[in-house]
Amino acid sequence: METATLKVFRFDPDKDKVPYYQDYEVPVEGTLLNALLYIKDNLDPTLSFRAFCRSEVCGSCAMKVNGKTKLACKTPMKELVETWKGKPLRIDPLDHLKVIRDLVVDIDKPIEKMKTLIPWLVPDPRVVPTDPMHESIIYPEELEAYKDQIHCMLCFSCYSACEAVEDYERYRGPFAFSRAYRFQVDRRDIETAKEKRIRYAISGGLWSCVQCQKCLYVCPKGVKPAEDIQNLRGQAVRKGFTDKPGAKKLKHYVDWIYATGQINRLYLPEEVYGNREAREKLTKAYEEMGVEVWEVPKPTKGLMKFRDIYLEILSKEEKALDLDFSHVRKIDKMVSDIFKADICTIVDRVHEEGKGGKLIEKLKGLFGGDNG
Amino acid sequence: MLEYDIVIVGGGGAGLYAALWAAENTILKVAVMTKVYPTRSHTGAAEGGINAVLTHSIGDSPEAHAYDTVKGSDFLADQDAVDIMCKMGAAVIYDIAHRGVPFSRRPDGRIAQRPFGGASFPRTCYAADKTGFYILQTLYEQCLKNNVTFLNEWFLLSIIHNGERVEGLTAWDIRNGGVHLIKTKAVILATGGHARIYWNRTSNALGNTGDGTAAALRAGLPLKDMEFIQFHPTGLAKTGILVTEGARGEGGYLRNRDGERFMKRYAPEKMELAPRDIVARAIQTEIDEGRGCGPRGDYICLDLTHLGEERINERLPQTREHAILYEGVDPVREPIPIAPTAHYSMGGIDTDKLGRTGIKGLYAAGECACVSVHGANRLGGNSLLDVLVYGRLTALEAVKYADEAPETNPSVAKQKDDERRILELMESEGKEKLPELRRELGETMMKHFGVFREESSMKKGLEKLMEIRERAKHVKVHDTGKRFNTDLISVLEFLNLVDLAPAVAVPAIERRESRGSHARRDYPNRDDKNFLKHSVVELKNGEYKLSWKPVKITKFPPEERKY
Repeated sequence: METATLKVFRFDPDKDKVPYYQDYEVPVEGTLLNALLYIKDNLDPTLSFRAFCRSEVCGSCAMKVNGKTKLACKTPMKELVETWKGKPLRIDPLDHLKVIRDLVVDIDKPIEKMKTLIPWLVPDPRVVPTDPMHESIIYPEELEAYKDQIHCMLCFSCYSACEAVEDYERYRGPFAFSRAYRFQVDRRDIETAKEKRIRYAISGGLWSCVQCQKCLYVCPKGVKPAEDIQNLRGQAVRKGFTDKPGAKKLKHYVDWIYATGQINRLYLPEEVYGNREAREKLTKAYEEMGVEVWEVPKPTKGLMKFRDIYLEILSKEEKALDLDFSHVRKIDKMVSDIFKADICTIVDRVHEEGKGGKLIEKLKGLFGGDNG
Repeated sequence: MLEYDIVIVGGGGAGLYAALWAAENTILKVAVMTKVYPTRSHTGAAEGGINAVLTHSIGDSPEAHAYDTVKGSDFLADQDAVDIMCKMGAAVIYDIAHRGVPFSRRPDGRIAQRPFGGASFPRTCYAADKTGFYILQTLYEQCLKNNVTFLNEWFLLSIIHNGERVEGLTAWDIRNGGVHLIKTKAVILATGGHARIYWNRTSNALGNTGDGTAAALRAGLPLKDMEFIQFHPTGLAKTGILVTEGARGEGGYLRNRDGERFMKRYAPEKMELAPRDIVARAIQTEIDEGRGCGPRGDYICLDLTHLGEERINERLPQTREHAILYEGVDPVREPIPIAPTAHYSMGGIDTDKLGRTGIKGLYAAGECACVSVHGANRLGGNSLLDVLVYGRLTALEAVKYADEAPETNPSVAKQKDDERRILELMESEGKEKLPELRRELGETMMKHFGVFREESSMKKGLEKLMEIRERAKHVKVHDTGKRFNTDLISVLEFLNLVDLAPAVAVPAIERRESRGSHARRDYPNRDDKNFLKHSVVELKNGEYKLSWKPVKITKFPPEERKY
């Protein structure tokens, strides 16, 4: 019978000073969970791990195999052996969670963190009847809004893989935001609860997610926390929670890209962190280094058409409201002031004159060359 | 000593719904004690749906639902209890829908319902194919909302009562180790089924070991209708994990060793789509008569190869995944080895129509209880309903009781007892090996108390069970650590199984008729004259004592169960 070696993390804080790895020879048959149960039955009954349903619904048996987060009952041994070409398979407990013993980790903390985001329905009495014999009507298409989030089974794979959890103690964890977001897009949930959830999400690190997308790849159930976090951020901005650097950054991106087609590196520090000297310092530094930099990105040809397309995309994603038109108008005015004409005519003029090379030269003189 | 007013043991559908209704209706101290985190409970594996007559179920009625349930039960269900359950259907469905369960909807926005086996009307509400999962998650969310106290990863050891009232519990704290005495006025047992007595021949989770039922038996409480175990026809041969009925619905064939579609000899018209129990019996007959497949002839082939890869991928993706994963067989190219698998325990702790036991303050709800609303055979979609209705009813009963009950004074003797018992397990010389004995238990149950039963075989089987129970005393817990000792839990679970197995065997031998899931080769017919009654098993001085109890018949006189 074909066998493989599992190098299993062992640690009983009552007995061991430090964790160690123990090797077990197991048959390459069935799943990783089968292999662990084989160890328990035949080699070593003292190995501790969690397992229950053995068919991918309970989320008990998440762990790491050579650093990759896996659900043991869903992972064929054959696949592991092929992937790692017969090398030993190192089995570790999930990251970012205190080890209780061996592969068993403490999940109380992430559950407590999740609780702070109100991850439950707070019914709006105008939508959900208070009469228990009265049905609340929900159209099938409404269920689409949270069809992925409801698959979360609390296996904590995403929590283990998350970079923000690593960096920021208070960070609630990817799953927690997904479970909270599920109610943000449920018509039955009352507006005041939605508002609170955003507030708590912000204090729980909503803007700390670095969008590394790992949660999205490790989720065994197809939940997409990174996307839900982006959507929550959009909601936060729309609800006027714009005082966090993350929100300001989002606002900067959305508005500048709409107004000029690209972000403005010179204004970013000021708009996001309120650093007024940054622009001047940066301009000076760039000049000294001989790097070309523009105060306002050069309006590109067809900018007006681009704006239409961009708005259409935002509308489709229901994010058109993220645009702050008063801010856009300010940017327009900056452009107009610099180019001495209103934005609609300037786009064409820049490019017409550009052909002749006159205005481009002039602009170069003014702001320091092509922004590439 | 921990002190509560109500302790709910088990954090599945029944336990969480009980906790929710208790939490919302009282200021008493309520705690849920569960051996796994609540969302991991086996309710989460229920796929199909939950039966209820809703306000828009035009043409259907709670009476029709009750009739179907009673007929499905082969007239062994108590009709007053069935009546309560069916009438409460709409109320519990709307309640959990209002709490957020994402039920699938009709185009007009009302809760969708589909047809299910044994039902005269499409009344099974569902949430995609993960109904139980969504219900469990939603109930957990609502419990968090209500700040329910959870004792997560605590294992029930003993129930303490004074013969009249319940006084408390003892339990093992899995995470930290140690036996605890818990003082409480009321206890709701919601610990699920015990189909793990068939060990590897079950669709159940690893931990469905009937812990509450076994503790009740040891505490002197009667168990009812234990001989009735529902078998699902198509469990994967190696693991017992379910292959959905949809595989046959999509046109899969059942073939024996000779490649014959044997269902033509059992149900020539319906073929593979005959009712569950008929298919299970046909498969078992083929295996028993030597026409099984494989080197040991112990399984039958479910052939999907003619459906083609595209259709299998589109309609049965999970079946393909599971067959490859757990059986090493790709159904696109090869037939899937399957055999009947123990699926649901109709029997359990004897309760009345409100979930009360003979001990004041002690209640049971869900699969661990036998009310009985399922009688000799449970209809698909009725278990989740049972779980919610009785979770809620027992919660209200417990609140009412605990509000007025006197303070209890559980003796520490039981705690000392349990501490000693666990120490002995760790100090045992270990003559017997747990994995071996557990395998023997499962094989004995399947061989002698499986799909078909017969007097002489069952008698041999019971002897073997008693022998296993005796040998189980010499099983050793090798892990002497206190912290998260899963070796200890495995042994304690096994000891529960060996206590429950004879409780299934004894009434199975004495029920000399075939009724519902209890199919006897030597008594192939139902015998209402002698056996239209509940079996009751009690453990007295180490002996299993059997008695009988009348069935409550109100509206529906017994008739032949024909579909």
